[in-house]
Amino acid sequence: MERRVYLELFNDKKAMDKETLFVKDVARLEGKREIVSQIEQLPVYTPTKKDENYVVIDVLTILQHIHSALPDIHVIPIGPKQTVIEIAREKQPLSPLFVLFFWLLLYIGSALAIMNFHEDVSMLLVHQKLYLFITGKELAQPLLLQIPYSIGLGLGMIIFFNHIFKKRINEEPSPLDIEIFQYKKGIEDYLSATETDRSSKPWPSKHSPQ
Amino acid sequence: MAFEAFAAVIVGLSGGLAVGGGFVAFIAVLGIIPRLIQLSKRTTALRSFEWAIILGALTGSVATLHGITLKVSPFFTLPVGLLAGMFIGMLAAALAEVLNVFPIFTRRLKLEKYLIFLMMAIVLGKITGSLFQWLFFVKY
Repeated sequence: MERRVYLELFNDKKAMDKETLFVKDVARLEGKREIVSQIEQLPVYTPTKKDENYVVIDVLTILQHIHSALPDIHVIPIGPKQTVIEIAREKQPLSPLFVLFFWLLLYIGSALAIMNFHEDVSMLLVHQKLYLFITGKELAQPLLLQIPYSIGLGLGMIIFFNHIFKKRINEEPSPLDIEIFQYKKGIEDYLSATETDRSSKPWPSKHSPQ
Repeated sequence: MAFEAFAAVIVGLSGGLAVGGGFVAFIAVLGIIPRLIQLSKRTTALRSFEWAIILGALTGSVATLHGITLKVSPFFTLPVGLLAGMFIGMLAAALAEVLNVFPIFTRRLKLEKYLIFLMMAIVLGKITGSLFQWLFFVKY
């Protein structure tokens, strides 16, 4: 009973290049204190140059590492079967010019897109009709309606994404946060399913119990 | 005559049903109402928000189809314009989100840190584009 340990893999983990990952980096354990601290210090993997951005470590590999060192421990894995390690490499800081370029790309692009949209749905005609509906007067340029409209356009987007330039309206994640989380999760699920190691994991013979 | 009136009623009713159904489906897909409920923290407001959409659509169609005018001061167009713009802004933001533009864009180009900065580009771009169009572009 006291030789039994429960092991739960983490869902994701970031690691630096060439930094050795120990069991404690990829999983948490439940069991007798001495055994748990012993297992936690076992090395699991060291990312090398060969690995690209992600490494998938499956639970059997970790069990193999544990059983090779401590053959008579009964590990019960719970939770995900694989964990995706994202390898952070030293990357040169992004040039501000590059960021500025993308800022301008988005800025000009969205300005053009909204103008195309307005033309497409005859927004000017609708504004003129709306102005006529409210005031009873015809006006070619109902600016009193159109300037607040333009400001509202930006406000509406900010409300939807829950960002007032870095300050949150409330503490819930915005649809954008969830969208990015889902996208990341999709990548991890894909890697777990496609890059996982399918080979069996025998113990090295020197440790095989007699 | 009677047949023609009957046919017109049927055609009008079915046309309205199709357009109304499509409109509501579009609003539902974009998730603007859940978003407003999340922000106002009032799940009980759902029914009244639904009615707001329905009554708004009805007012718009009656006003445009029957040439009704309210004949009030032009300053009443200020709040109407602001709210109309905010709705279109939410529509545009929701559409951008449905199309998954941001996660792909920022992750591929390693721009995660600048996400809000880049969001501002889009928001300000929409405002500038719209203002430019109404103030200058329409004259050409």
